[in-house]
Amino acid sequence: MISPHVFKAEKIEAGYENKKILHEVSLTIPSNKISVIIGANACGKSTLLKTLARLIKPTSGSITLDDKPISKIPAKELARIVGLLPQSPIVPEGISVADLVGRGRFPHQSLFSGWTKKDYEAVADAMDIMNITELANRNIDELSGGQRQRVWIAMALAQQTDILFLDEPTTFLDITYQVEILDLLTDLNRKRGTTIVMVLHDINLSARYADYIFAMHSGKLAAEGKPSDVITSTLIKDIFGLNSTVIEDPVSGSPNVVPIGRYHADRV
Amino acid sequence: MKNNSIEIIKQGRRLRRRRWILVTSLLFILAIALCCAMLLLGNTIYPVNDVIRTLSGEQIKGVTFAVNTIRLPRMLAGLFAGFAFGIAGYIFQTMLRNPLANPNVIGITSGSSAAAVFCIVILHTSNTVVSIVSVIAALITVILIYLLSKGRTFSIGRLILVGIGIQAMLDAFISYVLLKGDQQDIPAAIRWLSGSLNGSQMDELPPLVIAVLICTPIVLLLGKHLSILELGEQAATTLGVRTDLARILLIVSSVCMIALATATTGPIAFVSFLAGPIAKRIVGIGFSSIIPAGLVGANLVLAADLIGQFAFEVRFPVGIITGILGAPYLIFLLIRMNRKGDL
Repeated sequence: MISPHVFKAEKIEAGYENKKILHEVSLTIPSNKISVIIGANACGKSTLLKTLARLIKPTSGSITLDDKPISKIPAKELARIVGLLPQSPIVPEGISVADLVGRGRFPHQSLFSGWTKKDYEAVADAMDIMNITELANRNIDELSGGQRQRVWIAMALAQQTDILFLDEPTTFLDITYQVEILDLLTDLNRKRGTTIVMVLHDINLSARYADYIFAMHSGKLAAEGKPSDVITSTLIKDIFGLNSTVIEDPVSGSPNVVPIGRYHADRV
Repeated sequence: MKNNSIEIIKQGRRLRRRRWILVTSLLFILAIALCCAMLLLGNTIYPVNDVIRTLSGEQIKGVTFAVNTIRLPRMLAGLFAGFAFGIAGYIFQTMLRNPLANPNVIGITSGSSAAAVFCIVILHTSNTVVSIVSVIAALITVILIYLLSKGRTFSIGRLILVGIGIQAMLDAFISYVLLKGDQQDIPAAIRWLSGSLNGSQMDELPPLVIAVLICTPIVLLLGKHLSILELGEQAATTLGVRTDLARILLIVSSVCMIALATATTGPIAFVSFLAGPIAKRIVGIGFSSIIPAGLVGANLVLAADLIGQFAFEVRFPVGIITGILGAPYLIFLLIRMNRKGDL
């Protein structure tokens, strides 16, 4: 199991010149757990994730890993501890699946070295977890969207970081693949103890798979805690402006949000 | 299960590496063959023996002048300039993830060309000054294109369009200077418009050769970084690449090579544009095509120069031949990209 880390953000603000997106967000990421950031469109959830994953520099506040500011940690060293799967990664042309997954090994390699035994093991491991071993020597251009997404996650896994951020890893995928990807990520968390932090659109899947929820509203943290404590019809009203009733998910026992639209309001 | 997976991956990589070695060796052998042809062929075909003897320093009447003064510098200029164009083009295309984003299309070669023309025709400066000024001019062109296309968010499409505009301006400037200059200098004019190996001289070569020998290892060292930059800014940052530093080093090395190649042979049309895609196509998926792209560039220039010299009744400069090869590919690419919606 991976040793615990303390990943903390304190009063971080971020945004563009005249438009602040994050307002004094402070949080501590639960180590070795799955956390999900939820919130309406443009509430700053993706910005929060990107700021935590050092893609955006906060304009004020501090982000620390084990009490060290992440800006002071050398880039490669940090890349061995904290990884990120971007929302829409760019597919390079004409590269094999195995070699693309292998690029995740960059922070572990020196300037000259070829692949070491460890690199091969990490790549094979990541591909086995994501079930893409049989695609290893195929050209990435030939794969479907769902297959590609698994390749990207495998690349992030090959990086073997203790903490993994994912920006909407299930967007554009069929419900079958969404569940499959979330199952695979849960395997990763349970087997290796990888700390996972992701932005998800689907609240009900979030409630099922998350150990911990961060709910964002207008660039601020509106609520945080276990799904069963946090996800209530009041919170859904507050952050999405949506009427709903929250029932127990018959499959997982987690909270399940059933939205109420204008046409069905009178039946409640 | 796991050992089996490792074996599958290893085997695939072994096959790809074998193909890379095979392709690179074949390109290398082809380049050597073309170099020999450049030395052996000409108005008079001298015996191989005589050519080897002159090259090793013996004086043979007629042969020495033709081989050492005309053919050897011509061959070396073609070899090194082609190699430099090929590598620099490949790096720009890979880093910007767009085959159109190469020094030839976005006006960087025109930048160094314009500076070289200005120095030679108007200022009559020495070769050293021409080299230095053309490197500086190419770097300024890069910075100018970057600043003009920056906007709020960086877009490669905008960069390419701005580059094409700048290229048109610089080409107009080159034509203007040439028309203003000495009318007797028509051969030189052709050299600066589309590139030519005619009249290459030994003493013009050192800056280009030195640049290639210094910049190629730098670029190869950064090969891994280049393959990560290709994945985009976010992935590169996540993987711990210091993106600004890696990008600046790659750009400066490529620009030095391209500027000095241009200052030596003129902007040989489309070589930097064609070499990368051809190399990638024949190397196949996986391995870095930096060296193959350089070799393809050298082969293109040498082969095109031989065609230009001997295939027709009139002698054409190398740039005309590469231009004939490159233009249809540019049109093909534009149509394909337009269909895919990349542009």
